[in-house]
Amino acid sequence: MADKLSSKAASVDRESKIVDPTKGVPEPKYDWRGLTNEWGVRVIPGPHGLRLGDINVGSYGEVPDYWQDQTRRPRGSVGRPGIPPLPYSLRSKHELWAECSADLYEEAIQRRWIPATEVPWDSLKTLPDDIEKAVCQMCTELSQSANTELEIITYWQDRMSYGYFEVKQYLATATFDCARQLEALRKRALSNGGGLGIESRGRVNRIILESSGGWTEAVVYLYLLRGTYITRLLTGLLSAAHNEAEAFIYSHMLEDHARHLTYGYDHLEYASTHHDDASLIMGTLLAVGEAHMAAELKEGVVSSAMAIIFGGGIKGARTHGMERYLVLVRDFINDYLAICRTLGIDREKSLHPVFKRYLEG
Amino acid sequence: MEVFPSQEWFQKVQEAYNSDRELHSGGGGACDTTAGFSIGENRYFIEFAGLDCSQVRQCSEEDLATTDFVIEMPMETWRSMLQDVQKNGKASSNMTLNSIDLELEEGIAFSPIDDQYKQDLFYRYNQNFQDFFDASSRVQTTFES
Amino acid sequence: MSEATEMPREHEIDTSWMDNMAEWGITAKPGKRGLTLADVQVGSYGDLPKVSDNMTGRPRGSTARPEAYRVGAYQVHTLSEIWLENAEYLYEEALQRQWSSATDIPWHTLKPLPDDVEEAECLLCTFFNEVEFVAGDVPARWIARTTPDYLEARNVLSAQVMDEARHMDVFRKRALANGGGLMRMSGATSGFVGSIDLARDFTEMSTRLHISGEGAVLTMFRMGELFGQNDAEKTMYRLCAQDEARHVAFGVMHLRCLGETAPERREEIECYLDEAEAQLMAGQQNPAGRQSESSEALAVLLGGGSEYYDEGHKKLLVIRRRQLKEYMKRVISAGFADRFENGRSPVPAQYAATA
Repeated sequence: MADKLSSKAASVDRESKIVDPTKGVPEPKYDWRGLTNEWGVRVIPGPHGLRLGDINVGSYGEVPDYWQDQTRRPRGSVGRPGIPPLPYSLRSKHELWAECSADLYEEAIQRRWIPATEVPWDSLKTLPDDIEKAVCQMCTELSQSANTELEIITYWQDRMSYGYFEVKQYLATATFDCARQLEALRKRALSNGGGLGIESRGRVNRIILESSGGWTEAVVYLYLLRGTYITRLLTGLLSAAHNEAEAFIYSHMLEDHARHLTYGYDHLEYASTHHDDASLIMGTLLAVGEAHMAAELKEGVVSSAMAIIFGGGIKGARTHGMERYLVLVRDFINDYLAICRTLGIDREKSLHPVFKRYLEG
Repeated sequence: MEVFPSQEWFQKVQEAYNSDRELHSGGGGACDTTAGFSIGENRYFIEFAGLDCSQVRQCSEEDLATTDFVIEMPMETWRSMLQDVQKNGKASSNMTLNSIDLELEEGIAFSPIDDQYKQDLFYRYNQNFQDFFDASSRVQTTFES
Repeated sequence: MSEATEMPREHEIDTSWMDNMAEWGITAKPGKRGLTLADVQVGSYGDLPKVSDNMTGRPRGSTARPEAYRVGAYQVHTLSEIWLENAEYLYEEALQRQWSSATDIPWHTLKPLPDDVEEAECLLCTFFNEVEFVAGDVPARWIARTTPDYLEARNVLSAQVMDEARHMDVFRKRALANGGGLMRMSGATSGFVGSIDLARDFTEMSTRLHISGEGAVLTMFRMGELFGQNDAEKTMYRLCAQDEARHVAFGVMHLRCLGETAPERREEIECYLDEAEAQLMAGQQNPAGRQSESSEALAVLLGGGSEYYDEGHKKLLVIRRRQLKEYMKRVISAGFADRFENGRSPVPAQYAATA
């Protein structure tokens, strides 16, 4: 017994003298070592840097037609069993894909703009009251359109699975674009002796926001139907800009918007060529949508505001201003029909009567 | 040749920083903040407004209390950092403000009113401050002995 | 033949809307920061409704129409639920400080690394890629649920969505740019009760995401300058850290605002903080927390190789200590200091244990 105690005492004494450097450091398990689906990937940056599309190599670039996974597994990474699913309901490629997404993402980052400091606000000069009101009203209308776009994108964004992360990343830039447009338009309305106008009744906003059938449905209304019209509005506003500040805002909004439409049209083309029935469904949606769009076009606020801007005032609005706006609408409808044709959607035969009247002049 | 630390030195760096946008790296950009530098017995007040360093001057201990955050490190560390910048044209990766802050137990940045929100401005605007000190590569520098 | 000039058609135009403009005569002027959102908060346009009745999506301050469609259904429609004092400044700052992962990271400085280090870096990048999915998805969801009357706060969230997309992108790029690849997902980002994902209240979500989650990640991003093996990695982590600091600032300022304007919710918020703190060191979401795959990878990187794992682990303890300290100080800054003094929070004890 004495020996054992002595031995124990000696052991304690020994322990107190020994400094164990690894005491408290848990032994690593390294379970993760070697766990990869593909190794040895080395993507070299090109002349435009290392872009999102550049890293779609090997298995990492394989975009499946259906993404089974309802977790946040990065595409190409090794999965884990037993992870509870998340409500990613958009898991088929045709429900959201556009080949250009990765490129548009990088382009959006490169072409960012800052309304606070890059718009030449000091170029604003007092405008006649009727014109200022028209400009402010258009800022209000376009704000509400941008708000609708922001809300519908962000509604669907977290339902999109990560198998198609390029689309999600691109839509993140579109979210940011919309926020910036809201900001820039508000600033314009509140910086030249004006204010905001009357809100939009929201017919087309409603069909966009109520499109619960899927993201594609939302894109049909958001980009094909209304977005094509917004392009013409912005082009018209740019051509009639009263100062450098407005020109800057409209031209940059047009650039942003062009990206949004590129995604939208590209996605609709993918959907129509990769999903049976997609073109027919789009046609049905558009038949309904045209009625709402037609009602909105007939309503007097946007048409008269644009006519006033084009006509240099109320007096000119009644003649050449409105004529120019009618040409704008006709151009929009022709653009719209052309896009429909490329998507295999025949709208010409059953085009809404109001649209037809615009075409007939 | 300017002596570090001195108001003249900081003003030369300010001129260099403001004069050449190439010195403002990606991830910098406009910021609005005031900070203090505590260098031995010397105190300096710096203000960034937008894309420029709008003000840098010697100041009192009381002035430091009004800043968003203060960067304080031993004189030898200031010296080593700036010698590294002078030698390499910009801070080496282990001599950036961030690296130095991480290496020291208590860090180098603190809020005079012990408000972490204010101290976090050192993280939010880190690139601007780094670009500022990197701009000192354009100022011939000697060190106070 | 008549040589009469063809007269342009006369059209009737509706100008009734011109009598229904909102507050008129506003001339906001640019200040030294340009024309910011703060500068246009003038007159009625700066009035923030404590409770928003805007169900049509109209811009704040515009004239309402009785026949406009109520398409809003905004869950977040009281100011205290989302507001923060400096929203407009945070948004403008975000716009100013964007960067491109394609062109602002010096990718050419990547050099082949020892296998263990490359694997560790790739695992960490896989983890961060996955984590940023949450931080991108969840704020986006809340944008759609928030009335446009609080556009400044919404715009900050929009900027966060953009920042997180960039983070997702940069980590995926790093994993695929240096002879490695993606590794195994962590699985820590899936929904569990009390998680960021499943929160049905904005402040609950923000507490978990901005203060707890992103606060911890901020410290790790900053540490990237220590464990990054080359300029590309160090730059990547440093730029991500700046963005992350902005997101954390949102959380702190929102919580501060809520605590001051809705004191009846303080106990509820304390409960969210209780849950967040239980996960801070224990969960898989924090590589600097208790041992997880990503914490092992971090220790390898901090040590400079698996051979120096123990030294790396000791540095990990330093990160852990900083995370805990800065978390406490942020919550104190947000106005909830009591929990660290009255024994409610386990964090002071955890912090003391890291000494």
